Amino acid sequence: MSGRETVLAAIRRGLGRGPLAESARRALDQRQGATDSAPLLPKLPQGPLSQVFRAGLEKVSGSMSEVAAMDAVPDAVAGYLAGRGLAPEAAVAPSLESLDWPAAGIQPTFGPTRGGDYAGVSLAWRGVAENGSLVLLSGPENPTSLNFLPDHHIVVLQGQDLVPHLEPVWAALRERGEQGWPRTVNVITGPSRTADIELTIQLGAHGPRSLHVLLVD
Amino acid sequence: MESLSHAFKERSVHALKDETLQVALHRAKDGFAVKRAKAVEGLPEFDALRDRAVAIKNHTLENLDHYLERYEDAVERNGGKVHWASSAEDARRIVVEICQAAGAKMITKGKSMVGEEVGINGALEGAGFEVVETDLGEYIIQLAHEPPSHIIVPAVHKTRGQIADLFHENHQKYGLTRKLSEVPEMVNEARQVLRDKYLAADVGITGANFLIAETGTSVIVTNEGNGDLTCSLPKVHIVTSSIEKVLPTAEDATTLLRLLARSATGQDLTTYTTFSTGPKRPGDTDGPEEYHVVLVDNGRSTMLADQFREMLRCIRCGACMNHCPVYGAIGGHAYGWVYPGPMGSVLTPLSVGLKEAGNLPNACTLNGHCAEVCPVRIPLPDLLRTLRHREYQLKLGLKPLRWGLAAWVWFTTHPRIYRIGTRVQARMLALLAGRKGRFTRMPLAGGWFKGGRDLPAPQGQTFMAVWQRRQKERRQ
Repeated sequence: MSGRETVLAAIRRGLGRGPLAESARRALDQRQGATDSAPLLPKLPQGPLSQVFRAGLEKVSGSMSEVAAMDAVPDAVAGYLAGRGLAPEAAVAPSLESLDWPAAGIQPTFGPTRGGDYAGVSLAWRGVAENGSLVLLSGPENPTSLNFLPDHHIVVLQGQDLVPHLEPVWAALRERGEQGWPRTVNVITGPSRTADIELTIQLGAHGPRSLHVLLVD
Repeated sequence: MESLSHAFKERSVHALKDETLQVALHRAKDGFAVKRAKAVEGLPEFDALRDRAVAIKNHTLENLDHYLERYEDAVERNGGKVHWASSAEDARRIVVEICQAAGAKMITKGKSMVGEEVGINGALEGAGFEVVETDLGEYIIQLAHEPPSHIIVPAVHKTRGQIADLFHENHQKYGLTRKLSEVPEMVNEARQVLRDKYLAADVGITGANFLIAETGTSVIVTNEGNGDLTCSLPKVHIVTSSIEKVLPTAEDATTLLRLLARSATGQDLTTYTTFSTGPKRPGDTDGPEEYHVVLVDNGRSTMLADQFREMLRCIRCGACMNHCPVYGAIGGHAYGWVYPGPMGSVLTPLSVGLKEAGNLPNACTLNGHCAEVCPVRIPLPDLLRTLRHREYQLKLGLKPLRWGLAAWVWFTTHPRIYRIGTRVQARMLALLAGRKGRFTRMPLAGGWFKGGRDLPAPQGQTFMAVWQRRQKERRQ
């Protein structure tokens, strides 16, 4: 017997039954999840989503500034880098390639990084107000390495992409149909941290030391 | 991992005397309990979410074969491969074979408890691979050649001084010769050393907090980002997961995620929650070329058959050990196997046998705090009591204890004799204690009185006698 058959047979023995009938399996496939009821969504604080989002982000040591339009993003990135005393260079996601970076005095490299870049700029697919989380999808337009290797991660989020909870994100991913889920969905809530030495919280364990959101609204 | 649970008593005594360990444990205990309480207070829906979580896990376990098959279909649809491991040995062999086929030299690892359970590191090192743990806590204990002492903070038993020594000793070869003393500089040095490992690794191995059947996705939660660098930079990603981690949908996983971090560290959500679905797609400029999942049974299917199925709801948050007075006093290493604390005291005997680990279910005061904080409402004290019962039935355990229990059973099932006996005993003890009303020593119980502890003597009548008198007075 193959490992697969051995494990499945052992599970069925444990459950005290044989394989499920096709009809029973189809019925399970029809369910939207394990329970018949809709997910229980925590009630969010009063106020606009962007405000709830900001509160969540700041609670986990992230920061946020608002920009009026996508065109203003390169200037905002330049301002952020200058404010931290960093060179005007960044590894930028190809999804943001159409913006005028040289005009803001920034030398961009587009595409993935191998760790030599101090700053990475990505485009979020969604922002989740519940915890101030960013949802980033991997793909040629948005390399995952930008989210983890640079010391400073700057994420562009469009106001229309703010949702209250994670559940609408899953619904939207289902609607992508054939394209389905990308290789990686990163839900990022604040900069990298560790408490593995004497439970002392220290930012920038292996990933970015700072996380800054540019909300375009 | 080889079990040392048979030596639990000796290891506990040793732990209680270890002053450095006691300092570390004291710090951990209060921190976790307070943070969890605060996080739970901030989510009024917490208890309702726990009920949902129980329903989700119960439903999935009832149909575990179905969801695992659906999960496998979805992984393969996305270009990944699922391997089924019935035993720890199977799991080790499968992982070694994948690494050999990939022509790997260096392997990075994210934290995986099932990886510890089946002994992945030993097998890989035995096969000639260099294996580097990337979670800071796991990295520290790897340098110290120790197993984890806690399931979410593996190096919680180490002080910064001990860690500084380990780094000083092991980082010289990288040209890092300065002895460090502050936490930020230690974290930075580990970051620097491990960064090169991530970039050089041929295979990355992570665990899974959840598997999603609908989409064929593995989910990991980390705060450091080590899991992400481990699974996205090397050309092969291997996920090691036990079979009970599967859930029907991402919505189900989200319900459990709302409970996991709050119960574990008191965070609302961990920094990185990462959903991996297969290898890199056409056009992707980064990500692994191969994606393998090793599904490990290793005795879990047997647990489905009886009340221990409830244990398979466990999401490995560590809340039970963070609130356990026994764990708080002795730490994780005394338990002698991968999983310590209340959840470990249930899992270990089921995995390595009651003969080996029969002491663990007995090292419990049945105070119930673990069940109170468990996000998936596992009745841990009940399960521990069942294991004690099994141990008794199997005629294991110390003989004097078994005789004592047999005598106790006889007395309690003969209430009249029991009452007379306790009345006589109470009076005798009161007389023996004399005017002080306290004992400062007693034959055969020297341990109790160590360090100046005393024992109050019974005063007046027995509880039953007082109760009966009151009932009578009430009736009059």
